[in-house]
Parts: sequence; C-alpha cells; structure tokens
Amino acid sequence: MTGSYGVEDRFARITITFSVLLLLLGGIFGLAQVINRAPYFELPSFLEVSPKTYYTFLTGHGVFLAVAIPIFWITGFTAYLAPRVLGKNLRGGLLRLSLLMMFAGAIMAAAAILSGRSAVLYTFYAPLKAHPLFYLGAALLVLGSWVFAAAFFLQYLEWRRENRGRGTPIAVYGLLTTFIVWIEATVPLVIDVLKNLLPMSLFGAKVDALEARTWFWFFGHPLVYFWLLPIVTLWYYMIPKMLGVRIFSEKMARVAFIMFIIASTPVGLHHQLVDPGVSAVYKYLQVLLTLVVASPSLLTAFNILATMEMGGKARGGGALSWILKQPWGNPVYAGLAVTFIVFGIGGLTGIINAGYQLNLLVHNTTWIVGHFHMTVATIVAVGYIAATYSLLAELFGKGVKWPRLALAQPYLWLVGILIFSFSYYIAGMEGAPRRMLNIEGAGGPPIPSEWIYTLQLGAVGGIVMSASGALAVLVFFYSLLRGGIAVARIAPNPHPEEGDPYHPLLENWRLWIAVAIVLILVAYIPTFYELYSRGLAPVSPVGV
Amino acid sequence: MEHEEGSTLEFVWITIVAAVIAGLAASMAYYGFAKGFNPVCNATPISIEDIEAGRFEPGVEEIAPGIYRVNIVARQFSFEPSEIVLVDPKRVEFRVVSMDVIHGFQIPGTSVNSMVLPGYIGVFVWEPPEGIEGEFLILCNEYCGLGHDYMRAVVKISSSSSLLEG
Ligand code: HEM
Ligand SMILES: [Cu+2]
Ligand SMILES: [Cu+2]
Repeated sequence: MTGSYGVEDRFARITITFSVLLLLLGGIFGLAQVINRAPYFELPSFLEVSPKTYYTFLTGHGVFLAVAIPIFWITGFTAYLAPRVLGKNLRGGLLRLSLLMMFAGAIMAAAAILSGRSAVLYTFYAPLKAHPLFYLGAALLVLGSWVFAAAFFLQYLEWRRENRGRGTPIAVYGLLTTFIVWIEATVPLVIDVLKNLLPMSLFGAKVDALEARTWFWFFGHPLVYFWLLPIVTLWYYMIPKMLGVRIFSEKMARVAFIMFIIASTPVGLHHQLVDPGVSAVYKYLQVLLTLVVASPSLLTAFNILATMEMGGKARGGGALSWILKQPWGNPVYAGLAVTFIVFGIGGLTGIINAGYQLNLLVHNTTWIVGHFHMTVATIVAVGYIAATYSLLAELFGKGVKWPRLALAQPYLWLVGILIFSFSYYIAGMEGAPRRMLNIEGAGGPPIPSEWIYTLQLGAVGGIVMSASGALAVLVFFYSLLRGGIAVARIAPNPHPEEGDPYHPLLENWRLWIAVAIVLILVAYIPTFYELYSRGLAPVSPVGV
Repeated sequence: MEHEEGSTLEFVWITIVAAVIAGLAASMAYYGFAKGFNPVCNATPISIEDIEAGRFEPGVEEIAPGIYRVNIVARQFSFEPSEIVLVDPKRVEFRVVSMDVIHGFQIPGTSVNSMVLPGYIGVFVWEPPEGIEGEFLILCNEYCGLGHDYMRAVVKISSSSSLLEG
C-alpha cells in the first residue's frame, strides 16, 4: 500500500535542501573561526576578521548550525519517514503553515544576525541585547516547528485509534520522542522570549540576568536531545535494517527513549554550576538527574554495539572480526557508525562537564567546544548528512552522483574531529577560554604556551572538518543536478516480516509525559522559588 | 523473541551502568557536602546604582595574615582592581559584581571560575595550593561584547619567605 505523499515530500525536499545550504554558510563561519582564533597563526589579510565579524560569525555559526538546521532537517526527515511507516498522510494545511512560519522566522533571524546588529551568540544572555528581529525570528521559527509537531501528533493519534493493540514502529517511536522532548525544551524558551527578551529589546525593559539564564538553560539542555534523538532513532532503525538483523533488544531501545523523555529536561542547571545565586543542593539535584539522563545513552551504546556484533556475525564474522564485517563501504552506514563512535567519546567527556566540582576546571573553556563538536556537530555534519545521501534517491529521485566521495566524507570528518576536539580538550584542561578571538595579544601576563600549539593543531583539525563539510555540500548539490545511484533505503520495507512488539507500559505516552512533568517541577520549582523569593535584581539592557 | 543469553547480558550491563552512576553521585556528594568543596553558589542582590554610589568598594583587604577579601568590579571591558597582590594567601574570599552585562572571572590553571552576574554580588572562596607563587592571568570567560578579548587582569602571588631570601 504505497500511498501518495506529494505534499509531505515537497515539504521535506525544501527543508532538507535548506539545511544543506545552512551547513555551507555555517561551515564557512566555522572555518573562519578556527583559523582566526589560533594564536600566532599567520593569515593572509583577506582571511583575517575583526572582533565584530568574528562574533557575528560565531552567532551565525551557533544559530544556523545548531538551531536552524536541526529544526529544518528533523521536520523534513519526519515528514518523509513518518507517513511511510504509518501509512498515513500529514495534514497538508498544517505543513504549509509550518513551512511558512519557519521560513519567515529563519529569514528574520538571519537578517538580524547578518546585518551585524545581533552579535549576542546563540545563547543570547540578557542583558546583552540583539535586534528585536532576532528574538521575533527565533520565536516564529519555533512556533512553526510546533505547528509541524501538531500535524505529526495528530497523525500518530489517528494511527493509534485505528491500530489498537499494535506496538508503535520503532522509527516513529523515536521521532515521537524527539518531538515530545522538543516541546519540553521550547516552552521555557518561548516564556523567556515573551517575558524577558522581547520587552528588553523592543522597549528597553529591565531583566534579571540570572532568571533569563535559568530559562535559557531550561531550554538549552533538552535542545541537545532534540539534536540527538533523530540519530538515535536512525541507529535503532537503520543499523539493524542494513545489517539484516533485528535490534538486539527492542524493549531496551524503547526504555531508552522513555528515559530521554522523562530526564532530558530537568537538568539545565548543569550549565549553571558556576552561577552565583543558585544553591548547592539544587545544583546537585540536577547533577543527579544528569547522571540519570546519561544512562539511556549508555543503554543505547550497548544495544547498538550488540546489534552490530550480531549483524557482523551473521555476515560471517568471528569473535572480533565482526567489526570488519560491517558494511564500512556504504556511505550511509559509514556515516551512522562514525557518528556513533564519535558521539560515544564526546558523550563520555560530557560526564566530566556535569561533574559537580570538575566543572570548575572546564566551564567556558575550549574543552566544551571539543565536547560539542564530537556530539552535536558530528550529528549534524555526518549523521544528518548520511541520511540525506539516502534521501537523494528515495526523496529527491536523483541518487548519489559520487558515492566514493560520499563515502570519504564521514571518514575525513572522523580524522578532522579527532584532531580538533582532542586539541581543544587539552587546551581547555589548561584553562584556555572559548569564545575568544585574540587569545594571545590581549594584555595581562603571557598566555600559557600549551594554549598556543593546541589551538594551532585544532585549526588543522578544523580545516579537515571543513573539507569534509564542503564535500557533503558538493556531493549533495552535484547529485541534485546530475543524479546518480541509490546508496541505501530509509523507507520501510513493503512487507515487514514481523509486527512490532507491543508493551502496554511502553506505549503509555500519557503516563511518561506526566512523569516528565513531575520531574521538571521537582527540579525547577526550588530554583525559581529561590530566585523569586530573594527578589529579582533587574538591570538595563546593553546593546552590542 | 528476546534471547535468553541477551537478557543476562542486558542485566549485567544495566548493573554496571547503575553502579558507575551511583559511584559518581556519591563522590560528588562527598566532596560537596562533607568536604565543603562547592562552586560559587551564594549571591546577594545589589543594584548597579548602589555600586555607583560606593556601596561596594573594589579592592584587596587582608583581614588576618593570609586571609584575604577581594572585591572585584567587572565592566565592559575591564576589572577593577586590575592588579591583585597576595602574600602567602591561605584563604581568599572573592566578591564579584558587574556594572553592565554578564562577565566571567577565571584564573586559568586554578579552580577559580565564576560567572559575574549584574544585579548580584557573587561570593566564593579560594584556598590556593600551598607554596603557590608567580603572576597569574585573570580573564573574563563569558562573552560580554566586542571588547571581551581584552578584559583581563593579573594576580601576583608571592611568599614572604622568598621575599626575605630575595
Ligand atoms: C565545519 C567545521 C566546523 C568548524 C571548523 C567549527 C569550528 C568552531 C570553533 C573554532 C568554535 C569555537 C569558537 C570560539 O569559542 O571562539 C565553534 C563553536 C561552535 N560550533 Fe562549530 N565548527 C564546525 C562545525 C560545526 C557544526 C556542524 C556544528 C553544529 C551543528 C557546530 C556547532 C557549534 C556551536 C554550537 C558552537 C558554539 C558557539 C558559541 O560559543 O556561541 N560547529 N565551532
Ligand atoms: Cu546540558
Ligand atoms: Cu567578557
């Protein structure tokens, strides 16, 4: 029963193409950053940037790559996959409305940034103030994604009414988790924008810096899981599919998704461990919850590795040679596997960031930059791109023009990211600050010599990463022009051999959302109570 | 269709994960609450007008031998005082305020790392390692505007014994 998904596919083609364009733009900024912030790197003058350009680029880099791409790519990917898995259409009107809002928002925010009047970085900490279009655009982009989420939820609920007693297919299970977490994340963002940021930027209203920061990180951490969850979904869905086996434990996969729903939000204070004005006990409480939300990632690591082992053995591998028997020559598989490996290392370093005391050594150092390029940047530049290679055939009707280059792309990234991130990790352990252009020539005692060669080496890694990103963009657009071959198939096989297992408890979304809300209240009520009962300390906004 | 062998492995893995997490949680609680090693947590509201009116004086004060209180005012794009001199410091209480936006206060290579939030006096204590000496960089480690890179200061630490020798 192949339905017709013209509206969904058009939506997906537009948002996914736009994501690749954003990767190009954001990647250029990234390259400019990494070479400019390396101390004593002699650059030809046309490559050198002023602080104003640097921080404008850095704002664009964060907003385009880490906020806009995930929103556009994930909605597009879901619009492609969910209808095919469920055999149901999404409401066309909602899709069109969502597309309109998201584009209007993205264009407003991009204009605010590229005009140079919003160099507030993607964390936009008040009372630093951007142009009003920056906040309006961001809000519109997010509200547009809510319209999409509504279409998706409605489609799922309809499917459920018609399929009582059937387990939700794992791909949709993961995507639902993604969008539930997205709603958890963006409610506090919208509150912050409406209550604090828009009044501040439009009318010069005063804001409390700590309160705004707390709302921001209430959003900022679940945002991280929004980036990640579609890739976790792809690991669970595509890796067994490509290996021709079942997931090692389908139940454990679902338990992991549920844990992401309940624990990904009440942890934002782990970004505020060195903020004055938040009590030690409340910080510690959210550190505990952070350790809880680390566990579904560890479960996933185990489950996927075990699946890979089963698959490798089924393909004739032995006790260790199953590792060699993976389809390493397939660009889609290679991309998903590289993301899995790199994310594994990056995720482990996250436990250090969340170390209640260890955080003092790494907070706002380049260690953090190393960490999130192994996690989110790799998810975007390798994970989303791997799936996009497959979509070139099934969604765009074109195929991959240069499959060898597409295959080289994730491996090139792997080389680059290892050099980049480990250099930035080491520099960070020596205390080198992130978000700083002129680290060497800025006065005070001389900088430690460890910062110099590590950040220079980091630039080498960054150049390799940029080359990999350029390859992805090139392969994508050249394939659109010329067409090529299909490299994998994401759409479900027409005749699934077995139905999805049905576990009533794991299909009880209402229950788990309720648990999530309770945990969020437990984690955040004390913090906000402390903040408001002490009395806010609003200050006037300051333009950049 | 869960495999027998699978279930045992799963169980072992879940146990390992739980044990690691419990260990980490316990050690953080021990250092935080038994040993009192916490990041900056205390804050008292103070308005920028109050600071301007002199209700918060930047400067270094030695309360008892080796016991210091250091008041820092951060603003775009400097720290006041821009030079902190400490002799044989054993316990330094930093009190940090901002006159405009969020700044950071970090001495790379030490555990001194705090956000500086406008509207609040942040208070935290540093116990420098014994025998520490030399000039250390202080930098703002939160982006605070286009001059952020240039927002630096220095802390000069000496020990009285080496002064006598010198
Ligand atoms: C093309 C290769 C890339 C290079 C060379 C690169 C380089 C950098 C560098 C050097 C910084 C730190 C700048 C500073 O702290 O002063 C940075 C920050 C950042 N990057 Fe990348 N990056 C790349 C790709 C990506 C991708 C694909 C993503 C995410 C999806 C990403 C997300 C971020 C974020 C969120 C920040 C933090 C921005 C901030 O501090 O406000 N990067 N990048
Ligand atoms: Cu986080
Ligand atoms: Cu600064």
